This record gives sequence, C-alpha cells and structure tokens, in this order.
Amino acid sequence: MTRNRGSSDAGPGVVIRARNVVKEYPYAGDAVHALRGVSVEILAAEWVAIMGPSGCGKSTLLNVLAGIDAPTSGEVELRDQPLAGMTEGERARLRLVSVGFVFQRFHLLAVLTALENIELPMAEAGVPRAERRRRSLELLDYVGLSNRAGHRPPQLSGGEQQRVAIARAVANRPAILFADEPTGELDQKTGEGIMDLFARLNGDGATLVTVTHDPRVAEHAGRTIRMADGEIVNGNNGNHEW
Amino acid sequence: MALAGIAVSAALLLDMTMLASGLTESFGELTRGQGYALRVTPRGTLPFDSEAGVRDGAAVQQRIEAVKGVRKVAPVLGAQLYLVQGDSARESLFTVGVDPDAQALYVLTAGESPRPGEVVVSEPLARHYGVGVGGQLGLAAELDISLGRPREVHPFRVSGVGEFVYDAEDQRSLGMPIVDVQRLTGRPGEVSLFAVAAEEGLSDDLLSAEIERAVPEVSVYSTAELMAEMDQRLLYFRQLATILGSVALAVTALLVSTIIAIGVRERFGEIAALRAIGVSRQRLLLGVLVEGVTLAGAGSLLGLPLGLWMAGRLDRILLDFPGIPARLSFFVLDAQRVALALSIVILTGALAGLLPGLGALRLPLGRALREESE
Repeated sequence: MTRNRGSSDAGPGVVIRARNVVKEYPYAGDAVHALRGVSVEILAAEWVAIMGPSGCGKSTLLNVLAGIDAPTSGEVELRDQPLAGMTEGERARLRLVSVGFVFQRFHLLAVLTALENIELPMAEAGVPRAERRRRSLELLDYVGLSNRAGHRPPQLSGGEQQRVAIARAVANRPAILFADEPTGELDQKTGEGIMDLFARLNGDGATLVTVTHDPRVAEHAGRTIRMADGEIVNGNNGNHEW
Repeated sequence: MALAGIAVSAALLLDMTMLASGLTESFGELTRGQGYALRVTPRGTLPFDSEAGVRDGAAVQQRIEAVKGVRKVAPVLGAQLYLVQGDSARESLFTVGVDPDAQALYVLTAGESPRPGEVVVSEPLARHYGVGVGGQLGLAAELDISLGRPREVHPFRVSGVGEFVYDAEDQRSLGMPIVDVQRLTGRPGEVSLFAVAAEEGLSDDLLSAEIERAVPEVSVYSTAELMAEMDQRLLYFRQLATILGSVALAVTALLVSTIIAIGVRERFGEIAALRAIGVSRQRLLLGVLVEGVTLAGAGSLLGLPLGLWMAGRLDRILLDFPGIPARLSFFVLDAQRVALALSIVILTGALAGLLPGLGALRLPLGRALREESE
C-alpha cells in the first residue's frame, strides 16, 4: 500500500492538533457541554484509541478532529491546516482527500457493488476511471475480498462490509483514518479480523484514530486517550501550550 | 401505489393540457380543412349567430369576387325546414342552401350534387328515414299554427347522401341549392354568409381588410379570428382545465415530495456518511433530484396511455352535448402538448424532490451522524 506518510509540514510528525476545543450543543434551551477545553496532538503513523463511557464526548471529539463538526471554540489543525476558516466545501474536500472515515454501521451504498463502493470517493475526487478501477481491485485484494468485487452489501457479511468500508475509507490514500466504533456491530472474532486489518494499515504508515468502548480494541492501539464528561482524563501527550 | 398516483396525476394533467385549447384548435382545423380561409357575414354578426342575412347576395358576391386575391366565393343560406310525411310535419331540419359547385359544408358519400328540386341528406337522416339516392322527401318552410300542418309541401328528390362537416353525431340535416332555400323561405337573393377562398400565399388579414373596404356592409372573419372568438366562448373549459391541471400538479408534487422525504429519511445515515467521506452536497442533491425526476418520469410514462384513454372517453361524453359537431374534438393530441405536460410533471418532480433533499443536506453533519448512530 502506498499512502501519504505522516506530515513533515505539520511540525515534528504531528498530523492532528487540537487546542482548548469546546463543543456545546443547544438542548431544551440550555447547552450540553460535549467537550470542555480538550487539547490533543496525534503524531503521524500513530494509532490512538479514544475510550470512555457513553456520552463522554469521544465521538464528538472524533468528529471535531475529522472536520465533520465545527467546535464551539478552540482550534483544530489537520496536517497543519487550521479547520476554523474553512468553508463547508473546503472541509468536504479535505475529508475526501486527506481523511478516511470508517463507521460503526458501515454505510455502504446498497445499490452499488463492493468494487463500486470503493470507487465512489475516487470518482468524487476526479480519479480517472481506469485508475480507480485498478486501485479498487488492489484495495479489495488488500482487505481480502478479491472474490467479492461484484457483490452488493446485502450479499456480504458484517465483517466483509466493514472491510469494504475500510477499503473505501483509504481509497484516496488519506494520511489519517478515523474510525468510530468500527467493531461495534461485529462479533468478537470478526472484530479481531478488522483490528488486524487496521494494524496492517497502521503498519503501512496510516495514522489511525479509533473511538471505542471495547478495551480489547484499544489494546491494539499504541496510545489510549481516556475521556470522561467531555474532558481527557489520561493518555494524552498533547495537553500543553503550543 | 405512489407511482400509480403520479401516473393518474400525469394523465389528468395531460388531459387538461389537451382540453385547454383542444376544441378551439380542432375547430380551426375543421374550418381550415374546407379550403375556405374567410367567412363573410352581415356587418356585426358572427356566422349563423343570428337570422340576419345579406339581402342582395348575388351582387355582394360579385363585389367580393372582384377583390384581388379572392379565388372562390361560396354563398350559404341557413334555414329550418320541416320534413313532411303524409300530411304532418315529422321534424324541423337544419338546411343549408349552397352553390353545389362551390360548397364546403358536406362531403358526398353517395349520389351526386343536387340540382334545383333536389336535396342531399345527411347520413343519419338517410338511415333514420330509410331514404337513399332517388328517394323523395316532402319539405315545408312554414306550419299553419291553427291546423298544426305544413302550409305548403314541396317535393324534393334525394340526389345524394353526405357527411355534413359541422353536424353533431346523428344530426339529421339537408343541403340543397341556395335558390331553393331562398324560394321556400321567401328570402329571395338572401345569403347568411359567404365562405371565401384566398389565392395561395395571401395573408388572411390583408384579404380580410380588402374585402371589408370593398364591401362595407359585411364583416370578415379569418379562421384565426373565429378561433379567438371560440376561445372566448370556451373560457369555461380553459378555466376548468387550469384548475384541474393545477390540482393534478399539486398532487404530483405532494406525492413525489412525500416519497423522496421517506426515501431520504430511510437513507439518512447513508447520506450523512457520504457527506462525511467528502461527497459534496451538490452531488448528493443531484442524486435526490435525479430520484425525483425518475419517479415523476416513470409516473408520466405510465400516465401517458392512461391520459389518452381518459381523453378518448371524456371526448365521447362531451361530444354528446347537443349541437357539437361530431368532427370536433375536445382533446387534441399533439407531440408538443404531450411533451409539455410530461415536462411539467417531471419538473414538478424535480422541484418536489428538492425540498426534502435540501432539508437532509442542511442538517449539520455531526448532528446527522449522531442521530443516525443513536
């Protein structure tokens, strides 16, 4: 696998920086504090697991770091690019080419085949047809599903669907891969297989940020950030001024 | 079911589009089809709209014929004559007095043109009374009210059977030389209207103005003017068509919008995920629009045969109204009109799909993903 390794232009190997990030949601005339001044740094080719109980803000942090959600206050930089000044279109473009995303529920398009699902982000990014077909087949092989190229998601098992979703996530060779509870819908054995695949991706140089509540998943990560009540309680090496 | 609903709406819209101007156009086609572009009537009257006639018909005809660009003039005198059997009048028949060599009111289907003392009967009349070419008919112009009998019965030989162009279905009519109608009705030399054929390539309006200048005591109507007049009189149909067409469009919009909204709701997570992986809102919106267009397009295609079938049925019902020429049609089909109706439905589908599509894409992405995972 060839991918963008880390980011030399984002400081000494830092690909994600967040400083004093606050995220509040309006709720019943009041505000829910999902993140309370979170700061974090993630290095290139690092695998970070974010853990914590339900509602602690781990998915919100993932969304903010990936440029999906805008923070209420604070700063986020992805590969040295501050997200604050970006338009929705610019953020979409960033997510398309620099970031990969894996969801708990896979979210593949049921009407497309596995191969076509992997081609989708490449088509959006303007990769020529022949090139994306070649790369999709290569990715299917990478995730061990060469024989499933023509199958549609309903014809695939949960684990197979998640493998296709991972292949889709890395189709545009992003520097960073975000995964929100990637094994949440899978049984333990299948989940282990997915973790092995992540480990291989990480070994090939991908930066991984995984949200999970499963300690067995976190064991695979190089670093675990524990959250509670919208704050990082330990495992962070990034709570410093920069 | 929803697709069937859209098909019904599309069919209704197609019918209303056809109805909006169908009768007027059909009338125009009928009028033009006889080869006479202009109708000349006593000043200020419409063709057969009153009892008024041009008194010295022959002289007026000569003056019209003298106008440059006039190719042929066909005089017509309309009257009611009584068909007499035994010594009683069976019924009153609309009769046209024509110049048999220059007339455009009937097409012979059997026999030949009438000479003085002869008539052409309409096919329904021939069927109803069992008369054919060579048969005899007794006709009278007046009834003696006190006796309830015809005053003077004139025998006529049936020279031909014809299809009368402006007759309603099953209407029983007569055609005969104009001199006979003038004689029977005591209106010597009178003409109800002249049909005027213009020379090739001449503007109707120009010739119309020329005739009115040369013969000030007449009014001249081109086919277009008669159609406009008819259009005015058929305002009711246009209003009905507009209202029903609007209802059909509203139903289409609601159906498409509801289906798209349900579809978007069902694929909420999928749409949010696609946004998360960087697929642009424009592309996603385009997808939703395509869905709306496909839905409306499929409904329209299904609605097309239904609309044509409905138009045929409704046409038959409406043509049963008394006095409507059988050759007219309330619903005129042409490719442009079909394309217009289908385009309107498809455009409505696209716009109706836009609303739920925009709604789904306006939701902040983070919130959409959270709602999906809950």
